[in-house]
Amino acid sequence: MKMTAYMAFAKKSFLQKSAYRMEHWMGILNTLIRLVIYVEIYRALYGAREAVDGITMSMVTTNFILSLGMESFFVVDDFYLSYRIGNGSIASEMLLPVSFHGRMLADNLGTAAFKLIFHFIPAMLVAVLFIGISAPAGAASMGLFVLSVLFGYGVLWSISFMFQMFSFWLINVWAIMTIKNVFINVLSGAMIPLWFMPESMKNVIKFTPFESIYFTPVQIYLGKITGAEIAGGFIKQIIWIVCLLGIGMILWHKGQKKLVVQGG
Amino acid sequence: MRSDALKLSAVYTKMIFRSWFQYRVDAILRSLAVFMREATSIIVIYFTLLKFDSLNGWNIYEMLFLFSLVYVTYGIMIIFFTGLRDFGKTVRTGGFDRYILRPRGLLFQLIFANADWFAAVGHGCLGILLFVLSAAKIGVVWTPARVIYYIFSIAGGVLIQGAIFLFLATLNIYLFETNALKEVFYWNGRKFAGYPISIFHKAIQFCMTFVVPFAFVNYFPSQFLLRKDDMAMYPEIFMYITPLVGIVMYLLAYLFWRVSIKYYKSSGN
Repeated sequence: MKMTAYMAFAKKSFLQKSAYRMEHWMGILNTLIRLVIYVEIYRALYGAREAVDGITMSMVTTNFILSLGMESFFVVDDFYLSYRIGNGSIASEMLLPVSFHGRMLADNLGTAAFKLIFHFIPAMLVAVLFIGISAPAGAASMGLFVLSVLFGYGVLWSISFMFQMFSFWLINVWAIMTIKNVFINVLSGAMIPLWFMPESMKNVIKFTPFESIYFTPVQIYLGKITGAEIAGGFIKQIIWIVCLLGIGMILWHKGQKKLVVQGG
Repeated sequence: MRSDALKLSAVYTKMIFRSWFQYRVDAILRSLAVFMREATSIIVIYFTLLKFDSLNGWNIYEMLFLFSLVYVTYGIMIIFFTGLRDFGKTVRTGGFDRYILRPRGLLFQLIFANADWFAAVGHGCLGILLFVLSAAKIGVVWTPARVIYYIFSIAGGVLIQGAIFLFLATLNIYLFETNALKEVFYWNGRKFAGYPISIFHKAIQFCMTFVVPFAFVNYFPSQFLLRKDDMAMYPEIFMYITPLVGIVMYLLAYLFWRVSIKYYKSSGN
């Protein structure tokens, strides 16, 4: 019975999303424009060169198509909790017989499913037809890629989950969410393919959860990592999800005790 | 403009500051967040050029100089045009009806009753920092002619972006939701503007020069100083007409506003 409740939440947010047509078309256009910018910049950077550090231009293009594609349906609502604390509805939501976190995840997944079908797929089609993408390294790579995409979303969602818990202590979490997203943008490989980062940065990034979001799946797709390295990638993704959710839950229990709702 | 216009705008500014600085820690955190968010593109360019040395002949400092003008102009522009940036919300919530009832020009109220100082500080500081640092690294000698040129070009760049905001705000009178349009035409234009437009497809270059003319905000004014080879692709005169483009665009947007405002229908109650 509980699962159906979550399904209903997911379905509701799926349907809600379909109400804004114009916003939707512009969203797809936006993804494509950003993709074109990145690809054109790298074409100019590569010039006549075949490859830089063993990375060909088509690998760079593939990295951007896949990263921006994933980004287009990796939905997290950074303000889910703070919004509900702000308007007081958190009080009644905590009384519901479904878990608050489960509901939050279901809401996000519903939107993500909508974006996957109506944003990711059309944008991908245009990108593959007009820009061109490398084929996956093999059938196995493709399967493992899909699996690591799921975990990648898990990492992104868990980071947001942990940071959202600061809503209990801060009046406004916009600033810390924005700063969090700066780190994700720069260090996840979505804006600079991580192959081109200086060695010193690569050594720092290794110890952060950010490369697990977009870059690990891309590496698997292209066959840049194999065997034990792939296993390592998955283990890292799982460890980060567990750690971030764990810290988030500790903060949640601490925050709940000091939660004071005015009105509602 | 009436005689107490200056006094009134001073009162508005004081009120804005008071409301923003109710929560001091939050105000500082927010300015920092805007600064860091905007610095993202700079960090990306920095790391990329560490690897690749130059982009179509532009080295890292020349690129930063190009970027700096985008931030400086936005920082100044947003002090005046925040009301237009958020105009869609004002219309949707019916807040615009209040403005109409007051005995003042509508545009005057929109311009002076709102100012996003966090954005102004975040963008402005980043812009000035980049401008000064990159100009020093390039070895610019600041002659009076150059100083005057950049004062006028920056003013022109401010007007160009103000005109785009005014135009998009006016569209709110006809359309319910224009955020998506703004995202595509304004914010994407800005993303392109950080790079020498010569590297892009001809169609994008055309848009950047004649449709959403960001090229006149930073690319052509930068060329005045840097004279990179890719300037040969464009008429020389483009380096000098930024203030003119700004004035013409702003007048056109203002005309559109004046004509459209007659058709305003309230959505509030």
